[in-house]
Amino acid sequence: MTHELRFERLIDATPEAVFDSFTDPGGQAAFYEVDEPGWIVRSECDLRIGGVWTVEFGPSEAELTRHRHVFEIIDRPRRLLLSSTETRLDGSNLDTELEFVFEEQGGETLVTMVHRGFPTAELRDEHRVGLPNAFAQLARVVSAGLQRPKAK
Amino acid sequence: MQHHGATLDRTFFALSDPTRRSILERLAGGPATIGELAAPFGLTLNGVKKHVGILEEVDLVKTAKVGRSRECQLGPAELVDVARWIDSYRHALERRLERFGAYVEARTARDR
Repeated sequence: MTHELRFERLIDATPEAVFDSFTDPGGQAAFYEVDEPGWIVRSECDLRIGGVWTVEFGPSEAELTRHRHVFEIIDRPRRLLLSSTETRLDGSNLDTELEFVFEEQGGETLVTMVHRGFPTAELRDEHRVGLPNAFAQLARVVSAGLQRPKAK
Repeated sequence: MQHHGATLDRTFFALSDPTRRSILERLAGGPATIGELAAPFGLTLNGVKKHVGILEEVDLVKTAKVGRSRECQLGPAELVDVARWIDSYRHALERRLERFGAYVEARTARDR
């Protein structure tokens, strides 16, 4: 049982253009870019089922986080499903799933991004009794992420 | 993202195992001895001790000697740091989608 974080963004472009941007180097770099001097983004992508998209990003060479995404579903221009592993600064890993859905909406494209698999959210859902303060805090955080579509 | 304290990482590790989550679920119903925890999971006493030890390291469980048994109960840890980490993660994802949208729109505007 998992919980999910969901985000939406209406983009003024066709689903094909949005999908293709997400799978080209410029779009992938934009996804991980930060307005911070010296910010590093290194991305390599093998766009095929089972192919791997690796990204290293961070404020310096000594502080790089690494994301390894494996393409599980590629359904141009409608959907992408990736299994993702985040390798953090201390070498620990967090496995999650990332889904993108691209839907035409009035000449624009609604992008829905769903992030699944936080172990603590799973704990919250399964074990509502006990640790009440922690679960209340988690509920606040997760519901904040679900409360509204973020549209342009 | 700056959110990786050692305790937080250990807490994530502790919560990442389904048996340990089940142990927490069991303890949410009340204290239990190591033996009482072992039975429903089909684990050895040493196996349960190992899981309980990992949970105890991050204060999700506390144990005390009661007679000849070791009794376990939920510990004092609150998952506030974990919740903060998820919050920062959520903001980072939100920003990524926003930046990507701006990139596509700028590119589309150039091509029109």
